[in-house]
Amino acid sequence: MTESTDLSRVSFIVMREMRRPVMALITVYAVSILGMVFIPGHEVDGKPQYLSVFHAFYFMTYTATTTGFGEIPFEFNDAQRLWAMVCLYVSVITWFYAIGSIVRLFQNPFFVRAVEERKFSRQVLRISEPYFIICGFGDTGSVLARGLSDYGVPAVFIDGDEDRIRALTLRDYRVPMPGLCADASVPKHLLEAGIRRRNCQAIVAITNNEEINLKISALARLLNPSIRIITLSKVDVFEETLANLGGEVHIVDPFKMFAKVLVTTMTHPSFYPLNNWLVRAPRVRLSDAIKPPFGKWIVCGYGRMGHEINHALVKQGMKTVVIDPHDCSEEEGIDSYIVGRSTAKTLAQAGIENAVGILAGTDDDGHNLGILLNARKLNGNLFTLVRQNRHENRIAFEASQIDMIMQPTLVTARRVLFLLVAPLLKPFFQHLLKDEPGRKEDMEKVIQQLEKKIGRRQPHLITVDVVKERCSAVTACLEEGEQVLLGDILKHPDNFNRKLDLIAFVVKSGEVISVLPPDDYRIKIGDQILFCGTGASRRLLNATLNNEYNLFYVRNGVHLPKGYFMRWYAQRQNRPVA
Amino acid sequence: MNFEKVVFGFFIVLSLTLNFGFFLGEMDNPEHHNVFELFAIIVVNFIATGLKLGDRSQIGAVLLATSLVADLHLVAAATYWTVVVHVTETGLTSDVMVSIISLSGGALLANFISVIILVSDTLMSRL
Repeated sequence: MTESTDLSRVSFIVMREMRRPVMALITVYAVSILGMVFIPGHEVDGKPQYLSVFHAFYFMTYTATTTGFGEIPFEFNDAQRLWAMVCLYVSVITWFYAIGSIVRLFQNPFFVRAVEERKFSRQVLRISEPYFIICGFGDTGSVLARGLSDYGVPAVFIDGDEDRIRALTLRDYRVPMPGLCADASVPKHLLEAGIRRRNCQAIVAITNNEEINLKISALARLLNPSIRIITLSKVDVFEETLANLGGEVHIVDPFKMFAKVLVTTMTHPSFYPLNNWLVRAPRVRLSDAIKPPFGKWIVCGYGRMGHEINHALVKQGMKTVVIDPHDCSEEEGIDSYIVGRSTAKTLAQAGIENAVGILAGTDDDGHNLGILLNARKLNGNLFTLVRQNRHENRIAFEASQIDMIMQPTLVTARRVLFLLVAPLLKPFFQHLLKDEPGRKEDMEKVIQQLEKKIGRRQPHLITVDVVKERCSAVTACLEEGEQVLLGDILKHPDNFNRKLDLIAFVVKSGEVISVLPPDDYRIKIGDQILFCGTGASRRLLNATLNNEYNLFYVRNGVHLPKGYFMRWYAQRQNRPVA
Repeated sequence: MNFEKVVFGFFIVLSLTLNFGFFLGEMDNPEHHNVFELFAIIVVNFIATGLKLGDRSQIGAVLLATSLVADLHLVAAATYWTVVVHVTETGLTSDVMVSIISLSGGALLANFISVIILVSDTLMSRL
């Protein structure tokens, strides 16, 4: 529906704007041609010669466009020349008027917008595979776009800033990433982005404005009751509204999430490197376990990050000292609150000599690095946790050997990316991190396996939906009543005894979620399976899932004969043929 | 080792090598190109096509297509040869010979693509 209205709008504007110039051209041509036809020319054998309509039109065609081939088909007399002069001036001016109208139309910002919107909705309609709508192409959006491109998943972007959309079109993504410069909280634009299309899987609201994010989420729920919604929100009031929208809504709050990661890392030292390794952070080894220490912490900067981290630390039973220029007395659980900038003096006053960790969490990168240097001078054994606000300061932060760097845009982008491409990762971690016997051992086992199978290569999270479009061979096999085991598809399609460099993390069958499923798990149609593996094994797995010959081999250990002749021959030898 | 793969590879490579042998030589000189060689190429090509029939995979479809292209070229070359020798009886003049050899050159290219697909498919699963 959106497409046809846009189409008719653009063509309607063109036709309406061109009506007058076209009318003027037709009139001028008609009068000129008629004049040329009726003016008698030189006499030949006593009879005056007349131009035919065809010749008059030919003459006007090259005269009005200022080409000027001369007097064709015969030499004109002065009466004709006089009329020709009139024709030339009038028709040339009319042409200029017509061309000017077109140019003016193309420069009209409303027309340009209409054309762009139409182009955008056509690009969206051309996406046939599952895709996502992402509102906001800031720092977070661009990290997210890069990640989605690496996973080969297309997305549609809406951002109010024209420069950002221009930047988007210049990037080299492996999949289509159309962008529209518009206000995403206007329903029309969400429809243009295809929010009601069946292959639109989720909408992500990550603009800088929380209120707009909330509005987009509410609109999205109204326009499509079943779509997944992922929203960036750092304000509790909004989160309540969002939770009431119904359907699948994920609220991403980078500070809360990071506080959670910090707390989890205290009990599971390998969690932080595993998490960073999965998002392919540079130079991260799975074995680089870190353990934030228990004891007294100093929190510099009591903004949103300071609040969340302090809250998490106090909950863990740790003593915290907060240093912030603004007085804030209502907060409980803080051991002492020092009002002032975080300088060497206030740090010493906070008792930094006997602290175990420090958080530099202001929204100024220079200040954060300054706090770090001061603190290190006073106490060299501190565990350091620093907030990095701007991406371009990366080199400075990496050079400072900080234990944990928190970059809000990156945390958000990675979180959203996982929610989009690997939705089963959340239950996976929830299961492993639960405080139950055996879970810590499971975690260690997973890390050992990952180290063995993938090691220093790039990890790929692979979500497989067992549906006909994605796993044609497997579904065909299952529909015939045969069984396909999880261990089968993990085998190497080239050597029955080898295994692919893949680990099955989670299987979701209906509402049942099984973490670290065994090899003899029987795959069912409609299952969703999350694997972690290398890029090469991802391709081989795809081949097994979609090529019946490969699937037969990994299930039975013998190659299925290809072609009629070979099948006939195999049948004669009583070997399996199908 | 898989017997099926040996047979399959054998015929595909043989049709390429025979085709190359026939193609070699001066283009317009009938003495450089043997009619029995052309016959052998056509037979081997037909066998290769037959072996590819019935493969339901993607690669199988592309392999079959290349084989059909080669067949088309070779049958056209053989028909032309027969017509000039037996129907019009003009004989293998140099312009006729050039046409026949260029047709076999087309078949050579198709067979070459076939071999490349075969080799790359084998290498892919070696990853």
